[in-house]
Amino acid sequence: MGFKRFVNLMEIAVAVVALGFVVMLFANQPDGESEASESPPGATIFSASCAGCHGADGGGGIGPKLAGEVVDDFPDAADEIAVVTNGRRGMPSFDGRLTPREIEQVVEYTRTALGG
Amino acid sequence: MVAPTVPHETTSPTAKGATARILAVFLAGAAVAVLLGVYANEHTPTKDKPYALFFTDTIQLKVWFASAAVVLAVVQVLLGMRLYGRLRWPKQSPAWLGDAHRLVGIVAFGLTLPVAYHCLWALGFQSTDMTGASSTRVLVHSIVGCCFYGAFVTKVLCVRVKGLPGWAIPVAGGLVFGALVLVFVTSSLWWFVDRPAGLPLF
Repeated sequence: MGFKRFVNLMEIAVAVVALGFVVMLFANQPDGESEASESPPGATIFSASCAGCHGADGGGGIGPKLAGEVVDDFPDAADEIAVVTNGRRGMPSFDGRLTPREIEQVVEYTRTALGG
Repeated sequence: MVAPTVPHETTSPTAKGATARILAVFLAGAAVAVLLGVYANEHTPTKDKPYALFFTDTIQLKVWFASAAVVLAVVQVLLGMRLYGRLRWPKQSPAWLGDAHRLVGIVAFGLTLPVAYHCLWALGFQSTDMTGASSTRVLVHSIVGCCFYGAFVTKVLCVRVKGLPGWAIPVAGGLVFGALVLVFVTSSLWWFVDRPAGLPLF
């Protein structure tokens, strides 16, 4: 197979992959409205402020895994609230970005709905 | 005495056609950029991390894929400069240079696809950082990320459409390269130099 032919095939392959990604953009739509109406208040805050680092399901990402572990790490919820409020190492402070009530709600969410 | 005829500044049909074509090509690219921006803004971000391959997380995959794309883009620009005679090395331009230029661009573009997919699908158009604070870096990244694909479409059309001005391909190529570098600077480079402490590089 000549080099030119190989390049042509690569071009077609990448074009197909690009088309596939475009299709996936529209095929993988989240069911946002029904989730929002049924989810606890902390879920929305978690999705907006925490999921970017800790993962949509709390499974971890840039930030550590929360689901199934955060209660072990912070047996006292006040300690977790303090970390969210003041920050720690790579974790930014949410003081002023979230209200104390919102911080309580999102901490409650991580300790219950995410499986603590 | 007959007055000398003043030549009118007329535009030939060929020049008019070229102008119309180049306008159409750039408008098509702009439309793609706008459509991506609209999608990113209207779509509900999933916050999911659909792939990481052998990296720690999706974000590390994105950082390194985008970095590799930029490196390949630099190579492609150098190959393009040789094609246009702006570089004189090697003295004898090999016959496969044009195909190599295309291949490097294709691979670079391919590397950007999973990065952009995650940005559009999982994160959406944003102007705030991960703490919710307003961020010029994130806003610029969102805008230029959409513009990159618009510029790419423009570049591809410039190559495919006949009868365009000679400056069309270099200008479109420069826009693609510039947008990619800006996207890299506002994401991967930020990650390399300013990421939150304790987070893995790979």
